[in-house]
Amino acid sequence: MSEPLLVLDNVAKNYGAIEALKGISFSIDKGEVVALLGDNGAGKSTLVKIIAGGLEPTSGRMLFEGKEFLAKSPAEAKAAGIETVYQDLSLCTNVDVVANFFMGREITRKVLGIPVLDERAMEQVVQKALASAGTRIHSLRTNVEHLSGGQRQAIELNRFVHFGGKLVLLDEPFAALGVQQTRRGLDMIRQVASQGIGVVIITHIMQQAFQVADRIVVIRQGVVAGDVARNKTSPDAVINMITGETLAGAGPAS
Amino acid sequence: MNPRTRQTLEFILDNLVWFMLVFVLVVFSILIPNYFQLGIFANIIEASSVLGVMSIGLALVIIAGHMDLSVESVAALSAMAVGILFCSSGIGLGIQLQPQWLMVPVSLLIALAVGGLIGAFNGYLVVRVKMSAFIITLASYIWVRGLVLVISGGRSAQDLTPAIRWFAIQRLGGLPLTAWIAIACFVVFSLIMAKTPFGRHLIMIGGNETATFRAGIRVNRNLVIAFVLAGAIAGLAGWLLAIRTSGATANLGVGLLFNAFAAVVIGGVSLKGGVGTLPGVYAGVLLLSAINTAINLMGLPANFTQVIHGLLVLAAVLLDAFKQTIRQRLA
Repeated sequence: MSEPLLVLDNVAKNYGAIEALKGISFSIDKGEVVALLGDNGAGKSTLVKIIAGGLEPTSGRMLFEGKEFLAKSPAEAKAAGIETVYQDLSLCTNVDVVANFFMGREITRKVLGIPVLDERAMEQVVQKALASAGTRIHSLRTNVEHLSGGQRQAIELNRFVHFGGKLVLLDEPFAALGVQQTRRGLDMIRQVASQGIGVVIITHIMQQAFQVADRIVVIRQGVVAGDVARNKTSPDAVINMITGETLAGAGPAS
Repeated sequence: MNPRTRQTLEFILDNLVWFMLVFVLVVFSILIPNYFQLGIFANIIEASSVLGVMSIGLALVIIAGHMDLSVESVAALSAMAVGILFCSSGIGLGIQLQPQWLMVPVSLLIALAVGGLIGAFNGYLVVRVKMSAFIITLASYIWVRGLVLVISGGRSAQDLTPAIRWFAIQRLGGLPLTAWIAIACFVVFSLIMAKTPFGRHLIMIGGNETATFRAGIRVNRNLVIAFVLAGAIAGLAGWLLAIRTSGATANLGVGLLFNAFAAVVIGGVSLKGGVGTLPGVYAGVLLLSAINTAINLMGLPANFTQVIHGLLVLAAVLLDAFKQTIRQRLA
């Protein structure tokens, strides 16, 4: 078996005296979809921020593609190939769809040696990306503040599908989506994983986790309370892990 | 509503300040005798060059979601530095360089450097120490003006060397070169804001700083550059001010900050950040200047200007809120 894409080794995070993460260890393979489950305040979002470079862990280490890895900023994580879709949307509502799609990665051409935004090229890319995902936005030049919650989330999802990278972190990406769009979103995740990209998805909805994930990791009170393959467990067993009625590492139940 | 009407409406909303400018010019031309002359219009542009340049820097920082109250004092300090070095009477040292024209780039560089340094200081404190830009630049507004008083001893420098004065005297197409410098600044910075990744990033930082940080944009670096630019541009405004007045006094440019603010807000820049364009700011500057000229021509006491400017700022803010509601209807 090839080496895992990302290994977390006893990653911990304290806020003063509060231990948000007491020591998390698990790994993600290439092309694997891992659903990260846990109750509110279990530390899922903190963990995602640590991997994505938004927070620094208090202790522990990470291996990305076999090498020691610690992103000091989201820019570093991005450069290493880690894409993140956050729970609270990360869009600038004061600019248009195209500008948001390419935020920080604008296509430019040189005019007299000065980089100038290539709006036409960017618009074409966005048009194609949104069309292939079936997202309908009537003008790509409208400011995002005028778009619905679902359209906004679609922009973020299409962004990671388009830019890919090696690992994608999704923090409750479907919170504002309808049934149809959620199904499409789950399809997108499978499609991304089939390209060999690792996916970590945080969700509250058990059904989604079982639809899309290869493996389910449960975090409870800052530690891994369960790490099982999807086809070897059941929603009830996972709920027990989340609420703490079963001991850590519980395998098949029912 | 069909797309055509929507587009027209959006266009009018985006460029509202230009329509206001044209409207005001037409009304004044009809109502005020002698207003409709090329000389008057040239004068409007000429009188707005210092304020215009200063407004560019202020607008950059406000669009990026921050604030720079120090621009006025920075301009005064740069003007005083140029005045002390290159003026021949008062406290001027009357330094002469050979050849004469060398004094132009040297004085300009000094003015830009003074401004850029103070801008870098402001930017560093805002970004690293994470203090509020409002407080930091308020402090700079006070201590930089204090520095002007200290180095001048409250006295003034007069008779700027003719080699530099030349920019105020030499005319091209009816406008002095100083006015052309202001116009060139607007063109260059408008292009930077609208067409380059740097400008796009500043606008997005002003809209949602967290999002841009997460997207991997180097927010701190961009913000420091914005503050340095605002300082350097204020330095340029000071250089123009020294040329215009052929020297520098300790209270040079007092009150310009509030006019610059008025111009920026009237020009459609939102104090919340992320909204506004530099051509709009230029229109705001010209609008203020056009009104000042009208007040002069009507023979009203100059003190009325302040009242009118204040009301104009209020009107601009109200208009901004009104535009927001219309836009929401359109969406």
